[in-house]
Amino acid sequence: MENWKSGKTIQPFRVFSRFPDFPIKKIPVSKLSEKRTIDMEIIGEWVEPQTRVLDLGCGRGELLDYLVQTKQISALGVDLDFTRVTACVHRGVPAYQGDMIACMAAFPEKHFDRVICSRTVQELQNPAAVIAEALRVARRVTVGFVNHAFWKNRVDLLVRGRKARNAVYTTPWAESRPANPVSVADFDDFCSAQKIRITRRVLLGGDWKTPCRALPNLLAGYALYDLTR
Amino acid sequence: MTDEAEAPAAPAATPRHLAPDDVGLVTARDFVYPRAFTFKNGQQLDGLTLRYETYGTLNATRDNAVLICHALSGNHHCAGWNSPADKKPGWWNNLIGPGKAVDTRRFFVICANVPGGCSGTTGPSSTNPATGEPYGLRFPALTILDMVRAQKLLLEHLGVAELHTVIGGSMGGMTAMLFAIEFPRFTRRLLAMATTAREGAQAIAFNEVGRQAIMQDPGWNNGDYPRDGGPRVGLAIARMMAHITYLSDASMDRKFGRRTIQSRAKSPQLSAELPLAAESQPSVAAAADFNLQFEVESYLRHQGQTFINRFDANSYLYITRALDQFDLDHAYGSLEQAFAPVQAESLVVGFTSDWLFPPEQNRAIALALLRAGKRASYAELSTDLGHDSFLLESEELYALIRGFLERRQPDPSDFAI
Repeated sequence: MENWKSGKTIQPFRVFSRFPDFPIKKIPVSKLSEKRTIDMEIIGEWVEPQTRVLDLGCGRGELLDYLVQTKQISALGVDLDFTRVTACVHRGVPAYQGDMIACMAAFPEKHFDRVICSRTVQELQNPAAVIAEALRVARRVTVGFVNHAFWKNRVDLLVRGRKARNAVYTTPWAESRPANPVSVADFDDFCSAQKIRITRRVLLGGDWKTPCRALPNLLAGYALYDLTR
Repeated sequence: MTDEAEAPAAPAATPRHLAPDDVGLVTARDFVYPRAFTFKNGQQLDGLTLRYETYGTLNATRDNAVLICHALSGNHHCAGWNSPADKKPGWWNNLIGPGKAVDTRRFFVICANVPGGCSGTTGPSSTNPATGEPYGLRFPALTILDMVRAQKLLLEHLGVAELHTVIGGSMGGMTAMLFAIEFPRFTRRLLAMATTAREGAQAIAFNEVGRQAIMQDPGWNNGDYPRDGGPRVGLAIARMMAHITYLSDASMDRKFGRRTIQSRAKSPQLSAELPLAAESQPSVAAAADFNLQFEVESYLRHQGQTFINRFDANSYLYITRALDQFDLDHAYGSLEQAFAPVQAESLVVGFTSDWLFPPEQNRAIALALLRAGKRASYAELSTDLGHDSFLLESEELYALIRGFLERRQPDPSDFAI
């Protein structure tokens, strides 16, 4: 089995349980980037042309670059990593290296039209504070995350008793960053408790392509929310 | 910026100035501005000479110029070699050259010594034509803005239509920022590193200690001293103190630790480097030993000694005072107002171990630019080399600078955030 990122071969799991190993499907790079493209396309549909957009955890600036190309936005990315900020600068995407809450704190209310938090929430120290601050500095906040309650992840834990591994989370426990898994139900509860209005919600199946119409907390692989106060 | 210890002679057969990525032998030139130059405070000089170097060629559209702005103790010689016998190349030779991060095959690179300096540009040590004596304290009060305006005159003289990028670290970063503020349509990109928008109390305090060391030296004589004399001890002490602020606890400890000089004391080369030591030797047997003990002491004395042979004490007073006066918030009402006219795309770089102009002060610049609706980025490099990190030989830093200078052109329909 090949790890799409490193190209290293991952040994099949030897599980000490009585259950046989669930076969882990080989997920080629192209499929993952295809998934990312769909994510980008949906966010691209939501973003209004020529608006100010802040991307929290912007990585190498791919999403913002896409939005600059397609929607002529004025972009700002935030990331902790020097190399990723270098990649943004090289693309011509303005980026700020540092803590996202400290960065947002430097801006007045509604300075941005939209804050995007795409596949970042599960790694935040304090997601509630980040989303609250994002709702202060922007009129709309887009949050996208992998639904950790997706049935395959449940099966992973129930049957294999292992940390979920899939196209997005490829690494075993010991090689993974700290994560704070979130599900569709978690996020719905959070928004209702915080009185955050969900103006749009897109739920996709395990292929991140087909709309998920029923039992989203079980059947959605990916969720995108558009929030406002 | 520090005078780094001399590089060991290269064993290679090819002289270093002939290396393929080196700009090679360069000659400084003088730009003589024939008319009166008015300083910010209203005082005038009848004419002004700026000494500068250029590398690369100005293109037909005259828009590939990169201006390098030097720091307090720097000068116009930022790359290449003035003679094959030089022990060191220009101070930013690692960054500037054919194929380097600031690629002289692509850019026309200009660096000028600032007014008030002492490397060939008109400064307090220049001869006042009215008296035939050095200006001394009769030289007009100096600001960073005066440095910017003078360099703009040079750029016009060279036929530069617009600056592709203005780059500077430390005081050079201040100069670069002011370029983008004062000449917004002329300045397309701004790269400011290890700098501040407002000289803080700690930085002013260090400058003041340096000035006092100079002014309390009897040799200073109210700024009236012969060219080969002056407050040499005071200037050397000012430099020793300032040099500490350019380094860091970690980098000094790595370089010197607690190593003592006993093991090297017999080296005649080392003792020759220590004129300060000779002056401070107690003539009677003392109960305690205050002679040189640690390598770091000998290093600092060497730095002081090197400095007095190339720098003028009055220039040091004038330029440190210009740094103290630098406060964009105050000068323009607020930092956002200061940056309001900027049209340049900006990149600000901070260094984690810089305690003279710490990362927060660099971050504040980038965030104010962003609040003012400008395209700006902030990157922070983890280093333990202190303020002088901006001169670091770092592939990561080179990649960032190259990425900023040679990045994909922004879409014309793009507008500022």
